[in-house]
Amino acid sequence: MNLVRAEWERLATRRFMRLMLVLLVLAFAVTAVTTLVGSHRPSPDEIVAAQQSAAQQRQALEDTFQQCLAAVRGTLPPEEAQDYPPNCSVFDPGQRDRLPVAADHLQGVFTFADQARPLLYFLVAFLVLFGFLVGASYIGADLSTGGVVNLLIWRPRRLAVLGAKLGTLLGALTLLSVLASAAYLGVFWLIGQGAGLPGATGGDFWPGLGLIWLRGLVLVLLAAAAGFALATLGRRTAAALGAVTAYAVVWELGLRVVVEVVGLPRGEDWMLSTYLDAWLTGQARLSDATACRGVSGYCDGNYQIGWGLGLAVLLTLVGVLTMAAFGAFRRRDLS
Amino acid sequence: MSAVIEIEGLRKTFHGPYRSRHVAVDGFDLLVGRGEIHGFLGPNGSGKTTTLRALLGLVRADSGRMRLFGEDVPRAQARVAARVGAIVETPQFFGNFTGHRTLRLLALAGGVPTRRVDEVLAQVGLLDRGEDDVRGYSLGMRQRLAVASALLKEPELLILDEPANGLDPAGIREMRDLMRSLADAGVTVLLSSHILGEIQLICDHVTIVSAGRRVAAGPVAEVLAGHDQHEWLVRVPEPDRAAELLRAAGLAVDERPEHLVVGGVSDAGEVSRLLGEQGLWVRELVPLRPDLESVFLKLTDGGVRDEEAGA
Repeated sequence: MNLVRAEWERLATRRFMRLMLVLLVLAFAVTAVTTLVGSHRPSPDEIVAAQQSAAQQRQALEDTFQQCLAAVRGTLPPEEAQDYPPNCSVFDPGQRDRLPVAADHLQGVFTFADQARPLLYFLVAFLVLFGFLVGASYIGADLSTGGVVNLLIWRPRRLAVLGAKLGTLLGALTLLSVLASAAYLGVFWLIGQGAGLPGATGGDFWPGLGLIWLRGLVLVLLAAAAGFALATLGRRTAAALGAVTAYAVVWELGLRVVVEVVGLPRGEDWMLSTYLDAWLTGQARLSDATACRGVSGYCDGNYQIGWGLGLAVLLTLVGVLTMAAFGAFRRRDLS
Repeated sequence: MSAVIEIEGLRKTFHGPYRSRHVAVDGFDLLVGRGEIHGFLGPNGSGKTTTLRALLGLVRADSGRMRLFGEDVPRAQARVAARVGAIVETPQFFGNFTGHRTLRLLALAGGVPTRRVDEVLAQVGLLDRGEDDVRGYSLGMRQRLAVASALLKEPELLILDEPANGLDPAGIREMRDLMRSLADAGVTVLLSSHILGEIQLICDHVTIVSAGRRVAAGPVAEVLAGHDQHEWLVRVPEPDRAAELLRAAGLAVDERPEHLVVGGVSDAGEVSRLLGEQGLWVRELVPLRPDLESVFLKLTDGGVRDEEAGA
């Protein structure tokens, strides 16, 4: 317990941690202020006009879908029917992520319900970066400056010391994520109430937002553990940054180009970003151009990867890295 | 006197790239008794720091046996750690932490009452700079802070690797006094240092290591006595004639610009008598006792780095 307390204090007073917190607050403040400045409370006339536009757009979508169905049934003239595919699900308004709403037609009005998700994704992205960098630098700096050696002379239990560091890091990030998310969404909710529109926050809005937040939190913790493990394996912060940069350049960019040139089926399956997307958004929607080779009829080559597989891949990767880091740290000579 | 540190046949090889190997410690033995201030000497690369790291559980030995307070380490490392304070080379501290916070965090991690922080800061003369950031400390002050960190848990054994690094003469003297007061209080001190005069002044026992092996060990006086060549510095009016006479009497004579160095005779009166009988009256006759530096240089091939010597 004392070790965790000491690590907590050490983490809280790290200069890099404080710098990242300042950046977080700055990014937060800039986003909030620009939103506030660029938004106004709409007049009743603006709202009515926007509602009408949205209604017209929804009707147009419904009309297109009905036309498609008529084309499939053969009740449409051939010259019009040729514009529609045999499968009308792409036009089905019921299968869209969301239908047009009045807020889509209000210029310069911040609508909380519409913007909450992208704002949350932005926060999650920042926290993931934050978690990775802080995780890597926290142990990397300790290893390269001899701080860990100092500690091990006091507490010669390597796994307990490393475990306390990782546990403290993940605990601190969880707390920070909870506080930052609450403050962040709270401020934008207030902006929506006072200088924009709250939007449709009923139904499954809050549970849906909560689910995204939960997924984001898991991702933040996984990123922190990955940064921590890579820096432990490489004995310094730069090792973690180098590993991620090398992966991004060689694998995500290089291999992607090779896969496209060679025409490998389902090349996206080999990319970590696919599983990140699947976990965070609930489902990665992908397209495989090679799936339609030799198909004469309609073929879009689309396929999905669910959040379950995404989480399994991410957990396995981070789990293997973390176990390797603890194994290496237990055995290695420390200087 | 019971042994606090026992090392027998310690061996450690480091493996580098392309299957390269470097034997850092090669069957090294060390025995440190309770209450000793024990000097640990050796050229750079001779295996001193590797030995200390192995003793503290930071490096895994290939073979050999190490015991602290009679308990095998590293197996019992966690049990004996509370009784051992150590600094290995110059520890790095976070520059933006104050000296006080640095020690407070270590005290917290080690379960030591934080009131000890001020006590050890005072002990090493840093109390008035305790609230300053470590980045503003001189090398000597960082060294004192390191020693303070080793003293926090009131250790029975203090292992200090080059504690005088960066200290000015006054600082070295303070460090010497501190070591002495700790030893008087019953603390066993193992001191690795390059400042041989300092070791001779402060240590009662010494172990000299070269190329990973022990080449001398024992009480300082005994080690020095073992290398006494029974040499004398002699000043006479006619040095050439005196040298001839002494050589004729079977003594070894080395003619220097200002004096003669006469060896192979334990009694100074013999030199005086031989020269006096021929009318050469001795102006100065001084015994040349070996000091630790000369013994060290002799045992370690002139103190050259073992890495270079082996290259």
